[in-house]
Amino acid sequence: MSVDKSKRTYSTGAFFFLAPAVAVLLAVGIFPLIFAVGVSFHQFLLPKVHWHGNFLGVWPIYDAPLSWFQNYISIFQDDSFRDALSRTFLFLIIVLPCELVLGLAIALLLHKPGNELLKKICRVALVIPMATTFAVVGLMGRLMFDANYGILNYLWSLIFRSRPNWLADPNLAFFSISIMEVWQWTPFCALVLFSSLTMVPLEIEEAAKLETAKWWQILWRVQLPFLLPGITAILILRTADILKLFDVVYIMTKGGPGSATELISLFVQRIGFRAFDQGIASAQAIVLLIIATLLSRFYIKFVYKEI
Amino acid sequence: MSKLFCTLCAGITFSCLGLSVAEAWSLEEAAKDYKGTEIKVIFLDRPGYRATIKMLPEFEQKTGIKVAYEIVPYESTREKEVLDFSAQGDLTIALVDLVWLGEFAESGWIVPIDELQKKFANLTDPDLDLNDFFPLLLNAFGTWNNTVYGLPFDNYSGLLYYNKEMLKQAGFDKPPETWDDLLNVYGPKLTKGGKYAFALQSRRGETQSCDSFMRFIWPWGGSLLDAKFKPNLMSAKDQEGLDFRQKLEKIMPPGIVDFDHNEAVNALAQGQVAMITEWSAFYSTLADPKTSKIVNDLGIAPEPKGPDGRKPALGGFSLAVTTQADDKKKGAAWLFIEWVTSKAKAKEYVENGGVSGRQSTYQDKDFVAKYPFVSPMVESWKQGVPEFRPRFPEWPQLSEIIAEWGTKMMDGQTTVKQGSEEIDKRVQDVLKKAGYYDGKKTLAQ
Amino acid sequence: MTSPKSKAGSTGQGFNVGHFILLLVIVVVCVFPFYWMVTTSFKEQGAILSSTPQIIFRPTLGNYTTAFQKFDIGASLINSLIVALSTTAISLILGAPAAYAIARFEFKGKRDLWFWFISNRMISPIVVALPFFLIARQFHLLDTQLVLILIYLTFNVPIVVWICADQFRNIPKELDEAATLEGYNSFAIFWRIALPLAAPGIAVSAIFSFIFSWNELLYALVLTRTNAKTAPVVATSFLSGYELPWGQIMATGTLVALPVIIFSIIVSRQLVRGLTMGAIK
Repeated sequence: MSVDKSKRTYSTGAFFFLAPAVAVLLAVGIFPLIFAVGVSFHQFLLPKVHWHGNFLGVWPIYDAPLSWFQNYISIFQDDSFRDALSRTFLFLIIVLPCELVLGLAIALLLHKPGNELLKKICRVALVIPMATTFAVVGLMGRLMFDANYGILNYLWSLIFRSRPNWLADPNLAFFSISIMEVWQWTPFCALVLFSSLTMVPLEIEEAAKLETAKWWQILWRVQLPFLLPGITAILILRTADILKLFDVVYIMTKGGPGSATELISLFVQRIGFRAFDQGIASAQAIVLLIIATLLSRFYIKFVYKEI
Repeated sequence: MSKLFCTLCAGITFSCLGLSVAEAWSLEEAAKDYKGTEIKVIFLDRPGYRATIKMLPEFEQKTGIKVAYEIVPYESTREKEVLDFSAQGDLTIALVDLVWLGEFAESGWIVPIDELQKKFANLTDPDLDLNDFFPLLLNAFGTWNNTVYGLPFDNYSGLLYYNKEMLKQAGFDKPPETWDDLLNVYGPKLTKGGKYAFALQSRRGETQSCDSFMRFIWPWGGSLLDAKFKPNLMSAKDQEGLDFRQKLEKIMPPGIVDFDHNEAVNALAQGQVAMITEWSAFYSTLADPKTSKIVNDLGIAPEPKGPDGRKPALGGFSLAVTTQADDKKKGAAWLFIEWVTSKAKAKEYVENGGVSGRQSTYQDKDFVAKYPFVSPMVESWKQGVPEFRPRFPEWPQLSEIIAEWGTKMMDGQTTVKQGSEEIDKRVQDVLKKAGYYDGKKTLAQ
Repeated sequence: MTSPKSKAGSTGQGFNVGHFILLLVIVVVCVFPFYWMVTTSFKEQGAILSSTPQIIFRPTLGNYTTAFQKFDIGASLINSLIVALSTTAISLILGAPAAYAIARFEFKGKRDLWFWFISNRMISPIVVALPFFLIARQFHLLDTQLVLILIYLTFNVPIVVWICADQFRNIPKELDEAATLEGYNSFAIFWRIALPLAAPGIAVSAIFSFIFSWNELLYALVLTRTNAKTAPVVATSFLSGYELPWGQIMATGTLVALPVIIFSIIVSRQLVRGLTMGAIK
């Protein structure tokens, strides 16, 4: 590295700050990933694979036949994979804006002066959904959306005089899992955006308030620049997590009825741990990792603005 | 004092055993060299396993062998076992669902009984008597390619549970004999005023593929695969059965495609439906006043007959010794498997809530009278199809395909015909990939 | 305090009914499912399955006794606690300095390094579960808390780096410069000046580390047997494909969710200032 002297002292300092974290993440994380990449180039059916000891005491040696890009080619020819992927994107496109808009609304309500005690309670209440164990959220969903004894259906029947079968109808089932996702993660958006709102210098906000009384103009002109980093972070994090979303949906619907709620992670799990075709499952997961990375880059490039 | 009592009891049991077994074989004697050995097994949270856990102290005390069991939800059992076996882990006993038998046997993960009997001649109970198991059970749960690997342990049959009172009010004094009666005679009279004649658990998963889909293949004379292992769903008989399943929807509650076992059993227990076809193991739930409102009106019969006979749903687990275990553990595991499925323990197993697969258990009339589900179950085991679900290694993949398209058929996302074509196409792909069509692989299911 | 731009309290507006009602709706929507879970855990199966929900019922503790006796939820809660606390602590120890370096130092490839940290969160557990299983077996780490702690670092260090980096960046640079003039080295600046000022961010990343490790299911399912079983694994042990004893399920669910909710509520005050997240461009 050829940098001037003052910068170099800076970067040597950085080395000691960064080294432990980088070392641990590499040590723990990189082996499985490389292994998975290796597996994705093999015809790797777990029950048919045999192990022949280890290379250097760590790297397991197996006898699966090398198939180069065959796994990657076959997943792009697979309708079910494509369906599951587009279903996941549909889910993403429905759920993310809802979370952002509702989250922003809640953040603005919390930011608005007045009702201080209730606002405090509200902030505590917002922690509950995202702290609830994901598997338990799935169980809650199944209990509350049940057609016969579910509380939500009961409330619905009081208002609309009908008892839809939430988890048995393909569209409603998709809707139901979306509701649970929005319920669990809107509070996260709200808190991130609320934190961002507190970053707006008071003087600027007050000055803007003198100029116009319309809240949306203040939001657009004054607050938005401060919100964009948070929004980017939410987009990256939720996209990555939705591509991995498993517990809630698996417990609520198992991906059914039909394949109405089979998101991509359920699909990959089915290939990797039901059919035990780890070769194809690894290839699929790596494709997903690439998608998540590209999307994140995209968000950073087009949404993020340095303040 | 109590110590003396214990010794007395032990003495009595011991002498009883000694009497029933002519030769001087005894568990204690056989297990002498295996004291302190630990064997590992996966259990489920179901009645048969709870019964075993209650009985375990006796085995451990007699033999000094420690049985370490891990309770795992059914959904992740196969995943855990396959990971463990393929990575040469530490499980000593395999819990084998009948549909995993082919996979476990062909991968060489479990030891044939023959081998164990030869290797551990002095550990083998002279009263093992394999012929005493219901032939269907030993065949279906434990035998692959004519080799016995596992002994039937947790045994099920599909049964027809019904609400006597509801049937009586509709003018019936006995349950339907055939599926046709159930739909056309019983159905219309029992479906009214928010109540329904029947409920069929059909949720996506093994519930859809086994309990719902396959139930309407065999009794109609159909089959999943033909003699050459080509998918057979487009045959007239298969189509007739699957069409029949669609017709049942008009006598079933809406949203049936989200019913799992739990929902179906509850619908009967709460008096919302008049009949269900469910596993024998649900008797305890339906006969328990805490979970059921129809305890006094509960009727049990074999499943209705289709055009080709009864051929009811068949399910269950066997226990087998794993190849990965060392000899000491193998011996100890073999002793445990023999003991827990033995004639001598069968009645105690049933009394604790299990279902024994031994015919001799059910010859005592007074004993049978205490358990109303026994006689219809024994009746069902007389004429079952071992390959009700094929037991080859590819079944879990087929099950996923059937579960997806079977639920699509039921809620109208596709027609029976289109759905069958899709399943056939995908099943053929899987079987082709597995090598059944190039003549190298035995066509065993 | 230099803590920047924190908002002064109410500007003294009066009681606003619309605002009040909306806030109330938010509270109800957030709390209701949880409330429903807790009440269900005190009901008998019959009361749960009735088609008109029972608001008033005779509570029973039976579900909790079963949860403790049959499923040994106590032991798994302790396991979860050990795993979650250790992961959180180690993630902070590793992540906070790294975050500081990213926020304060200039070096080549900084942005890529930041992105690499973040991308560790995007790896799907389904596919690395097998290699983790193999390696854990190799080192005799199956069914231990240690293996879970190590693996959970891979998705918690990124979160810590992400949240803390933003907090460090918000600390005015002049403070560092002043401290340098007084002879502090960069470690002392980090420890004595930056860290205390970034306390809210540290607290928030601690909450999220804790939440994510407490709730993790897939790795725990694959890598534990009996000794290191965590609470979410026990919560799913009801998926036997058979019965759904809702009372027991919800009792277990309550017990599993309660510690993390309590932990989060205790530190939730910090959420206001600590949860600004940005990106390194």
